[in-house]
Amino acid sequence: MLKQLCALGLAVVVAATAACSGSGGSSRARDTLVVYTGQAGDFQLNFNPYSPTFIEGMGTINEPLFFFNIAADQPPKPMLGTGFQWNADGTELSITLRDNVSWSDGEKFTADDVVFTLDMVAKNPALNKTAYKGTASATDDTHVVVKFPEPAYMDGPQVLGQMWIMPEHIWKNIANPATEVNPKPVGTGPFVLGDFKAQSFTLKANPKYWGGEPAVKQVRYLSLSGNQAGVDALKAGSIDWQTGPIPDIKDIEKNYPGYKAITLPLNQVSLYTCSNVQLGCQGAQTDPAVRKAIYYGMNRTQINSLAFQNVNTEMSPGFTLQPRDKALLSTKLTDQIAPMNPNTAKATELLTSAGYVKGADGIFAKDGKPLTLTVKVVAGWTDYITALETLSQQLLQIGVKITPQQLSWNEWADARGRGQYELLIDSVEQGPAPDPYYTYAYFFSTAATAPVGQTAFPNYSRFSNPIVDNALAELKKTDRGNPARQQHYDAIQIELEKHLPYIPVLTGGIPNEYNDRAFTGWPTKDDLYAFPAVWKRPDASQVYMKLKPTGN
Amino acid sequence: MSYYVRKAAFYLAALWAAVTLNFVIPRLLPGNPVDILMAKLQQRGGTVDPAARKAYETLLGTGGGGSVFQEYVAYLGNLLRGDLGVSVSAFPAKVSEVIADSLPWTVVLVGLSTLLSFLLGVGLGAVVGWKRGTWLDALVPATTVLSAVPYFWLALILISLLSSGLGWFPLTGGYDVVLDPGWSGEFIGSAIYHGILPALTIVISSIGGWLLGMRNMMVSAMSEDYVLTARAKGLTDRRIMIRYTARNAVLPSVAGFAISLGFVVSGSLVTELVFSYPGIGSKLLQAVQNNDYALMQGIFLVITIAVLGANLVVDLLYGLIDARTRDRSTVS
Repeated sequence: MLKQLCALGLAVVVAATAACSGSGGSSRARDTLVVYTGQAGDFQLNFNPYSPTFIEGMGTINEPLFFFNIAADQPPKPMLGTGFQWNADGTELSITLRDNVSWSDGEKFTADDVVFTLDMVAKNPALNKTAYKGTASATDDTHVVVKFPEPAYMDGPQVLGQMWIMPEHIWKNIANPATEVNPKPVGTGPFVLGDFKAQSFTLKANPKYWGGEPAVKQVRYLSLSGNQAGVDALKAGSIDWQTGPIPDIKDIEKNYPGYKAITLPLNQVSLYTCSNVQLGCQGAQTDPAVRKAIYYGMNRTQINSLAFQNVNTEMSPGFTLQPRDKALLSTKLTDQIAPMNPNTAKATELLTSAGYVKGADGIFAKDGKPLTLTVKVVAGWTDYITALETLSQQLLQIGVKITPQQLSWNEWADARGRGQYELLIDSVEQGPAPDPYYTYAYFFSTAATAPVGQTAFPNYSRFSNPIVDNALAELKKTDRGNPARQQHYDAIQIELEKHLPYIPVLTGGIPNEYNDRAFTGWPTKDDLYAFPAVWKRPDASQVYMKLKPTGN
Repeated sequence: MSYYVRKAAFYLAALWAAVTLNFVIPRLLPGNPVDILMAKLQQRGGTVDPAARKAYETLLGTGGGGSVFQEYVAYLGNLLRGDLGVSVSAFPAKVSEVIADSLPWTVVLVGLSTLLSFLLGVGLGAVVGWKRGTWLDALVPATTVLSAVPYFWLALILISLLSSGLGWFPLTGGYDVVLDPGWSGEFIGSAIYHGILPALTIVISSIGGWLLGMRNMMVSAMSEDYVLTARAKGLTDRRIMIRYTARNAVLPSVAGFAISLGFVVSGSLVTELVFSYPGIGSKLLQAVQNNDYALMQGIFLVITIAVLGANLVVDLLYGLIDARTRDRSTVS
């Protein structure tokens, strides 16, 4: 069967070839979990969680203080920390640490290790991926105080959940932590490095782990040649967990016996618009009436069925991630959820009242210029390309002509960064905690943008709005969970709906497939204890710890 | 003597031009390595925090500053010191390490199969040319058809037939992944076993060119007067074929072979992709996909030097094989 599959794959795509060789190791002990993180090509030895080319270690080997679960609105789970407290104005964070923890080389873990790690990040701009500006000090072996120059509630999840605590007794001797590859990682985590080879490596359960030795004794990471190879390996039963689309995912239990799938909404698929004339944007999309007309002219139900196998879900024009942020969804929005069906009358009326007149060809025009726009999309992103082809048909109904333009990723990303586009399709992403604050601060704040021609990251739409900026500044001064935050969330959502710098399409799901026969304890819709994507760190380590081999 | 000085000057100028092009061409690519790194991390659930981008700019040293000209001067200086820089896609590995890891795979695989294909092609071509008009002539269209088949297609057919179908050879890779690379007999055996099929496809698809060229040169050489003279002197057929006809007919092929040896280093990109072979071609693809300027420059440099070096060797050695060029070169 496998041979036939390979022959079939070969006839279709070159990439399929590696699948069959990668799936060779099917005889394995059932307490070994085999995962495919999307690694194509050889693994490059690098277990430094602060390096951009790390291959593993976040949460599995080097733990954070707390675990923030972005899949569900839950309080952070204590890891190396057991509790934390802010002072009244949010400039001082007191952390209590776990007492009975030792490093995998036997040394005792203390508050000095935490202070060392935080200082190392603060002192090395190349490691400081979170703009951490605090100063940390240990009051005793289990207590650390971090002082910030300004209210820093929103930096909490970064410091508590994204700082991987490194052993001081080893890392103090490393001259340049940014280029260190940490070949023999020492951590406090539930796993230690087993053997490493360029095409596969293993993590072994840490018998001295403070939370008890994990039931999964070994995790093997495979490198395959790409998504197609992942699907083939799944079919052959040689991997237990992968993240990525597979054909006909709805019938996974029939097509891949023993496997189940979970698709979680994460990426808010949107039409990005270069929206801000003041920062140099050009084109009809700089007119909010045009963006709104596109918003109303879109048939999201049809796009979902034609382009996304109906797995995508509704999206709010206020960019709260639904259903996770249900509690934060503003009641003051005109549409709490972007309409799934088009409203042609409304779109036409918006354009007419903005001074557009329909031409003989059925396309609206203003000052002699027809309403035609180019949408940039990456060649090969077939679901997005299908969505745009569908959308271009739909928008002809409201007299707007959009033309999809396929580009190589490099060209597309360059145009996106420099703002040299009219429309493009991409997704708006989430931050380190289950809180839309991060999405707003990254994609909608003036601080994260730049004039057209210079590289903006990641506010590519060049949206700049004083009400949003003020609300973000206020949110920064208010602790999470405080009801006073809602008025600021409301203010932001109202502005986003009014201006639509990113035109909402649908919330994109991340599909994950896992072996439910050999292991139990996977995250489910009812118990979303971690985001169930295999590449999501440190979430994957939470899943590894919870899994139990069934012996099948 | 001035002939050699002029040759050396020409090759130095060519080297400078090539090195400068190496610097310019990667920079004409849109995008930059930091964005690609960020995108790769995002796809794996990484952060889109603006601070992360700044940190990586600092780390990779691409945070602007310095004009293109300054970069160029620094680049030439580093080259003279043999420092090729740090690869962005394999960060923090040095470019020289990445190339040193992958080059031997390509040189051995493509080098041996080029040599094999040359020897077979020229040998068969000599025989076919000598016995022209017999059934052996059918070899010419047969092998040229094989060369005309798109390379990747031939490779896929062979994989499907010999690996998937009959299971004689492994599907992909350069060695069995459970082994540790090293000089153990087991590993070398595995590397040879994995190399047979890629080598076979290279030989099959390139042998036709050598055969055709050699056969036609044989045919024209056979009508030369010295062959007639040799026959008149009563020399054996075997001697005439090898020492008189083939020796003269092989000259253009030798030049072609030397040039193709230079291209061995640049590898067979398609071969390596189809077979997921860990050679320099796959590294070049990785560099282009990641806007890894340093790695691209390093690989281009190695290719340039190999091609120029091969040309130089041909220039210098051609005189040894062909007495006529020796005469002319001393005159000029």
